[in-house]
Amino acid sequence: MNAKGWAVPAVAAAIVAATATLLVVNRAQYSYRRDFAMRMARTTAAYIAAVTPPPPPPAPPRARPRPPARVSTPPPPTQLSPAARSFHLPALLTQARALKTLPGWTSEVEVYYGTAPLVDATAPPLTPDDLQELDSAGSRWRKGVALVPLRDRDGREIVGAVAVRPLAAPRGPLPGGLGFAFPAALLAVGVAAVIAFRERPLRRGGYIAAALLLAAAALVDVRTAARDSTDRWLKDTRRLLVEAASRIPSAGVRVNVSDLAALVQSSEGVVVAGEPAESAPRRLEIDGTRRAVVAVLIGANRWVELRSAPAERAAPRWLVLLLPSALLGPVGILLLRWAERTPVPRRRETAIAWGFLTPAAVHLLIFTIGPTVFAGYLALHADQAALTLANFRTVLDDPVTWLSFRHTLAYALYVPFSVAIALIAALLVHAHRARWSGRLLGVAFLSPYVSSVVAIGLLWQLIYQTGSLGLGRSDWLSSPATTLIALMVISLWAHVGGQMLVFLAGLQRIPQSYFDAARLDGAGAWPRFWRITLPLLRPFIWFVLVTGLISACQIFTLVSVLTQGGPLPAYSSEVLSHRIYQTAGNGTVGAAGAGVAAALAFMVFALVLILRWPQVKLLARVRHA
Amino acid sequence: MASVTVRRLSKVFDSGVQALHHLDLEVRDGELLVLLGPSGSGKTTVLRCIAGLEEPTSGDVVIGDRLVTQLSATERDVAMVFQTPALYPHLTVRENIAFPLEVRHVGPAQVARRVLDAATRLGLKDVLDRMPEQLSEGERQRVALGRAIVRGPQAFLLDEPLSRLDAKLRIELRGELLALHRALGATMIYVTHDQTEAMTIGQRIAILHEGRLRQVGTPEDVYQHPADVHVARFVGTPGMNVLHGRGRADEKGRVIEAGSLVIPVELSTYEGELQLGVRPESVGLCAVDQGVGNVDVLVVEPLGSETLVHLNAGGQPLVARLPGFADVRVGTRVGVKVDRRRLYLFDAAGAPLA
Repeated sequence: MNAKGWAVPAVAAAIVAATATLLVVNRAQYSYRRDFAMRMARTTAAYIAAVTPPPPPPAPPRARPRPPARVSTPPPPTQLSPAARSFHLPALLTQARALKTLPGWTSEVEVYYGTAPLVDATAPPLTPDDLQELDSAGSRWRKGVALVPLRDRDGREIVGAVAVRPLAAPRGPLPGGLGFAFPAALLAVGVAAVIAFRERPLRRGGYIAAALLLAAAALVDVRTAARDSTDRWLKDTRRLLVEAASRIPSAGVRVNVSDLAALVQSSEGVVVAGEPAESAPRRLEIDGTRRAVVAVLIGANRWVELRSAPAERAAPRWLVLLLPSALLGPVGILLLRWAERTPVPRRRETAIAWGFLTPAAVHLLIFTIGPTVFAGYLALHADQAALTLANFRTVLDDPVTWLSFRHTLAYALYVPFSVAIALIAALLVHAHRARWSGRLLGVAFLSPYVSSVVAIGLLWQLIYQTGSLGLGRSDWLSSPATTLIALMVISLWAHVGGQMLVFLAGLQRIPQSYFDAARLDGAGAWPRFWRITLPLLRPFIWFVLVTGLISACQIFTLVSVLTQGGPLPAYSSEVLSHRIYQTAGNGTVGAAGAGVAAALAFMVFALVLILRWPQVKLLARVRHA
Repeated sequence: MASVTVRRLSKVFDSGVQALHHLDLEVRDGELLVLLGPSGSGKTTVLRCIAGLEEPTSGDVVIGDRLVTQLSATERDVAMVFQTPALYPHLTVRENIAFPLEVRHVGPAQVARRVLDAATRLGLKDVLDRMPEQLSEGERQRVALGRAIVRGPQAFLLDEPLSRLDAKLRIELRGELLALHRALGATMIYVTHDQTEAMTIGQRIAILHEGRLRQVGTPEDVYQHPADVHVARFVGTPGMNVLHGRGRADEKGRVIEAGSLVIPVELSTYEGELQLGVRPESVGLCAVDQGVGNVDVLVVEPLGSETLVHLNAGGQPLVARLPGFADVRVGTRVGVKVDRRRLYLFDAAGAPLA
């Protein structure tokens, strides 16, 4: 075993994996910092709007706001509507400046009136385009600064903006503010190097463990950043609430809790009356949900509680990126080892095979496995609560479920009839295959099979309604007693062709020499059919029967087009698949019945799975036949 | 057992191909007749017409004293063994052999006795309960034979039954088939394109070429006295050399010139082209200019007991069969001798000259 061949690429793979993981961590920290800044900016904007009084009544026209004189020719804020004057400018200036002196505040803040900065007059102004964009987009993130619009007291017109730049905070608990991810990354690379250069059999387990450790350490760092983001917002907002309590102009001596609550958007948190408690952020279980909480003293012995969803609860979703990037290393090393051991042609074949497989695999993942998992989630979560079988109970308790089940089974009874007819048709067509009569017969049987089910359904609806084909004038489809039979007749007509096609293929696979030999052996037409044709077709008969039953259990289109499960109110032709569709609100996204429908779908799935078992066995037998 | 007679049998397929031209053939009761011919000569069509699997365009088939032309295959009471064994794959060996008896409603006790008898004859007793897919190729063909003999039909039709077997197995089964024929005294028509097989097993050989019967005779007959140039070429390994030439009679002598060879021959007339046949074993080599002409050596095939030497005689191919290992070099020029008592003369169309 020559370790040198793959040692360097292996270490390179480990370094790439470690770097990628660190980059993901960095990206996560950045995104949490941005979230914090955005929230803070929005809260600050709400605070400013709350604490700044309206302009004094009838002001002279020259009281138009002007940007500070030291700024060289800023664009004039001419586009502002009259409503922009709904803040008293000197008061706004005061309140904005006051933000700078807030103790323990962890961000730099800037308030723009129009395009002009108020807090730090030397800061670069905004452009009118910026404002317009903010007005339509709601918020912006630019060069580490969160920008949100400052609106007038009615919340309609944009009068300025609030910018928040979060001050850098230590990223990890280790000395120097270091996170766990970095040392873990060093360790993983080290382990990879030892394995690669020490010319001994690969210790896969060791490196995989190191990679998993790296992923775990990275997750801890991401979680810390998430938690930090929530905590900082709680702390800074707490300071704002304390300030607001004393500054809200209309409040007088005692500020209303509802006034304070208006500062925090409902999507970010709530403010409720509270008890005396620690002013540091805590995590509490409230009504079964975990919340991040901080107590705020807003006056003499008056407390409110600021609550928010803890961001770290959603942090594990970063594992979707962290795990693959951390495992890049071991996977890369395994690939290198495999490539080293494998001859080039086989390597190329494998690469090509995967190249061809990947699109199908991705398709399968997105359109089959993904939705199935999602349906499983829906089925097991009634009302978004914890894991529950409530949806299944709802399904089982619904009498229409059992009705649909019975109807589906009854409907499936058409399959044996259609198989028998298809077999006879196939024998006729096969016997006359060289003549035009045989071909015509084949086309006649096959044409419904290649037609749209919807078109067939509508055609038969016409036949039933007009009472053609000697069916009489009573419409079979709309009479509760016959509607299921009417559907079975249509299905038989539509499916016989396809089943005949399978039998024709089966007949063609029987060598002519068997029939020649049987004729010479003295077997007439009837014994030849019973003793040669039928036994040799048996796997095909079973196959057609089972696949027919499976697709019958999934009948949907005809019912959906023709009866909608009716005639109501007896649900005379309701079947399982259509019931699923109806329960799910006829395909409405986010419908209330989605969970119940998913539960029903899983039960039908189980039913079909039981039928699939013989089909799998049969396929094997057909292949060997 | 019965004789099989074919009278003025013609077959034109739907595609317009005429496979058989007014064929007359009589197979005697208890005889093993080999139908020999190259692929596409119509041998299998003859067999299928006799069996009733193919409807002749004109002509009659008589089995024993029954005219069976209008009867279906089921009613003709002949058995056929195909090139592929055509065993029913869903039945055991026992059930396969019993099949012809069961469809004729023979009683179970008798079925069991006769199946066992046939299986014993063919050495199939140990595999009676296996499925066809579990058998070797040779065993399968034996089972097909068993299915044929079990009901004692009027005649056996064998359509290249050994062609799919390997050489060793083919020789082994050929011997068994001959023994079976002797033991049963059965009328058998055996189709093959392998003339060695035809020579070794046939009591009489019927040679077909392009849908016409060229010659019927004992193996020695068709070898020594071929009826025409096609038979001459086809029978023998390798077949007879046929050289195109013309006669010349002048002061130097009365000869046939064919390629680079000049062979003294007495002829009734020396006019026009003719074909000169000489078997490879009648060709010998000698020093240059010592024989009837000089030739170039193209290929030497040492076979151990003999050596085949392929020669170029002035643009015409010639094969010599020499005993043992012959000391001949490829690319050299040598002289040729021929045994003048063993020359065959045909006219330009291929018919023998008296």
